[in-house]
Amino acid sequence: MKRTFYLFSNGELKRKDNTIYFETENGEKRFLPVEDISEIMAFGEVSLNKRLLEFLSQSEIIVHYFNYYGYYMGTFYPREHMNSGYMTLRQAEHYLDDSKRLDLAKRFVKGAADNMLRVVKYYEKREKDISNVREEIERRRADISDCDNGETLMAIEGNVRNTYYEAFDAIVGQPAFAFESRTRRPPRNYMNTLISFGNSMMYSVVLSQIYRTHLDPRIGYLHATNFRRFTLNLDVAEIFKPIIVDRIIFTLLGRRQLSENDFVKGTEGVVMKENARKMFVEEFDQKLQTTQNYKSLNRQVSYRHLIRLELYKLEKHLMGEKQYDPYVAAW
Amino acid sequence: MFVILVYDIKQVRVTKVLKKCREYLYWVQNSVFEGEITGAGLKKLKMELGHIMHPEEDSVIIYNLRTTKYYSREIMGVEKGGMDQII
Repeated sequence: MKRTFYLFSNGELKRKDNTIYFETENGEKRFLPVEDISEIMAFGEVSLNKRLLEFLSQSEIIVHYFNYYGYYMGTFYPREHMNSGYMTLRQAEHYLDDSKRLDLAKRFVKGAADNMLRVVKYYEKREKDISNVREEIERRRADISDCDNGETLMAIEGNVRNTYYEAFDAIVGQPAFAFESRTRRPPRNYMNTLISFGNSMMYSVVLSQIYRTHLDPRIGYLHATNFRRFTLNLDVAEIFKPIIVDRIIFTLLGRRQLSENDFVKGTEGVVMKENARKMFVEEFDQKLQTTQNYKSLNRQVSYRHLIRLELYKLEKHLMGEKQYDPYVAAW
Repeated sequence: MFVILVYDIKQVRVTKVLKKCREYLYWVQNSVFEGEITGAGLKKLKMELGHIMHPEEDSVIIYNLRTTKYYSREIMGVEKGGMDQII
């Protein structure tokens, strides 16, 4: 599969010799082979011109950009290359029909809950004292199927997630990285910063995969479609957040690769330092490249590809071919 | 698949070949490229290189590794180029 490039250095990104060229402030020059790029994530100060944007559109390369503090700012989402009015209509149909929409939303919540359970069980086996959290999630998970409107579903989803977060302290076991409560915009402590950063990476990765399918990222089911942004990627990311983002956080903290010194407190909340971000991103990319056996295909697929397969399953559901059944980790 | 591409091209055409390779593979050192590439991508690259080079004077060798499972890569001296994704 084509690669993702993460630009942390400041510099100029341009089209040169019919490929992509990045020259950093300190004079380092790199040619990035166009044929091997699927997406670029820009963290540093990158200047570019329209000629490059045209080239990126033509080569179907998507660019996510993050601000100085590492917060997701936006995406250069090139002209759709896989147009399908048919799929857009099916998506809208499932959005407008309340029962169809609720059905899909429930599937996402259930998938997310199942994967949270996987994570909790995984650490339970490693002698972390979190059986009460597991039981609580299991109990709340049972309410999902009985729920009959969007609001209660959101409430259950919130409850499941809060319960799940209770396990974090026991899993990590480092007082400096206490979870306390979930704070966003801005995150107020180290753990929240890690979660926010990981989640935003996850959202952009899913968005990149949506670009490679016929789906329209603007129509989501669990997250209401509104006038400002992509929502379908948020829905799909729910399923993968526990098994990818949270696991990475636990791994990095478990290996003591991150400490309090990797963060700075400012007006933008608690922010990771650049080297910590790089480390996180490296781990994240590694994770997405790791493969596991995919039963229905009976072959090894990477997590990144797994996200694409998940989108194909969703397409099938929308077309009425096969009911969508979210991916649940098998470990 | 993973390929290693080395070339020996007459000076007048060498930059053209260099530029073409840079679209598909990663520059490692003078006249050497490597990288992950699809079957179709390699076919395309070979065809495009074929248009540039002169079969009587130039030579390109492509080592094709179906998997990098049993491969190790060792660098002595300076590392000149590579496949870093984090820049």
